[in-house]
Amino acid sequence: MIQPQTHLNVADNSGAKELMCIRIIGASNRRYAHIGDVIVAVIKDAVPNMPLERSEVVRAVIVRTCKELKRDNGMIIRYDDNAAVVIDQEGNPKGTRVFGAIARELRQFNFTKIVSLAPEVL
Amino acid sequence: MATSVSASFQIRLSASSLISPHDLGHLTPNANATANGWRRSSHTAESYKFGRTVTTVQRSLRGPSVVSPMALATSRSQDTDDTYDDLFKKYGKVVYKNNDKKSPTAEVDDDAECLAFAVALAKIASDVKAADIKLLFVKPLVYWTRFFLIATAFSRPQIDAIRTRINDLAEKQYGKFATGDTKANSWTLLDFGDVVVHIFLPEQRDIYNLEEFYANATPIELPFKNEQRFSP
Repeated sequence: MIQPQTHLNVADNSGAKELMCIRIIGASNRRYAHIGDVIVAVIKDAVPNMPLERSEVVRAVIVRTCKELKRDNGMIIRYDDNAAVVIDQEGNPKGTRVFGAIARELRQFNFTKIVSLAPEVL
Repeated sequence: MATSVSASFQIRLSASSLISPHDLGHLTPNANATANGWRRSSHTAESYKFGRTVTTVQRSLRGPSVVSPMALATSRSQDTDDTYDDLFKKYGKVVYKNNDKKSPTAEVDDDAECLAFAVALAKIASDVKAADIKLLFVKPLVYWTRFFLIATAFSRPQIDAIRTRINDLAEKQYGKFATGDTKANSWTLLDFGDVVVHIFLPEQRDIYNLEEFYANATPIELPFKNEQRFSP
């Protein structure tokens, strides 16, 4: 359940370290975002000497949420943190590697690129 | 004062009720002594002491009579070990098996079918002058797909040409439809389920370096002459 003002960790090597959600892309007045949704976020913390800098506005895909993700077969997945992967306007990830486990639902949302860079797919 | 005494008396009673007749001989002298102490006592501190002695008696009595819990636990674990051993003997290593798993021969057939499809796609990509085509068997590494086809194209129109021709072939000959990118992108991905096609521009191919990430995957020899990338 990501909403504007939520802080998220960054799960890639793009150079950003922490994001703050400022808008959820989708319907006009959408309240919450979940795994696989695209958000507009501002970089609150970044690694020095990397292309991305603090206070830059980027797009990101949510890959992990503390809120449970329910599957049709009864499986429930809940992560320890809220995390996102920074993408560009075309949908390509800005980093070259993704960290941590991600859910296979991302593939159904057409983020197979992120899935193919991830070390573990749940 | 009165309430505390009655409480300690109850403890004594409960203690005696727990004791088996065999152990009663040990208890009686101690219990009598404490009971005498209670009659003489007028301080709360002493009554507390009395209560404590009774509980120690109870504990010391419990020692020899109730030995079993640990022994019970060990015997139970041994039992489960035995049942597991029996199951291993009967069924081998797999104790529980899901029914939706395919037989090994069906898996091999599917692999061969996907390989033929992937090689056909690679051939098409080669026809449209894609360079450095690599086919990786990634099934042992990731569960969500079987083959990766990685190719380099040198311009967006070329990527578009490769994408449309691959899509046409898959639709007409194999009846498969791709999800993924619907227009040319610097990293265009076509997802056919068991085969995932990545078409990169040279710069992006170097940046993402998918071959290195999937270095443990088995590369598959392609049956045609692979055009190598020309170095600038």
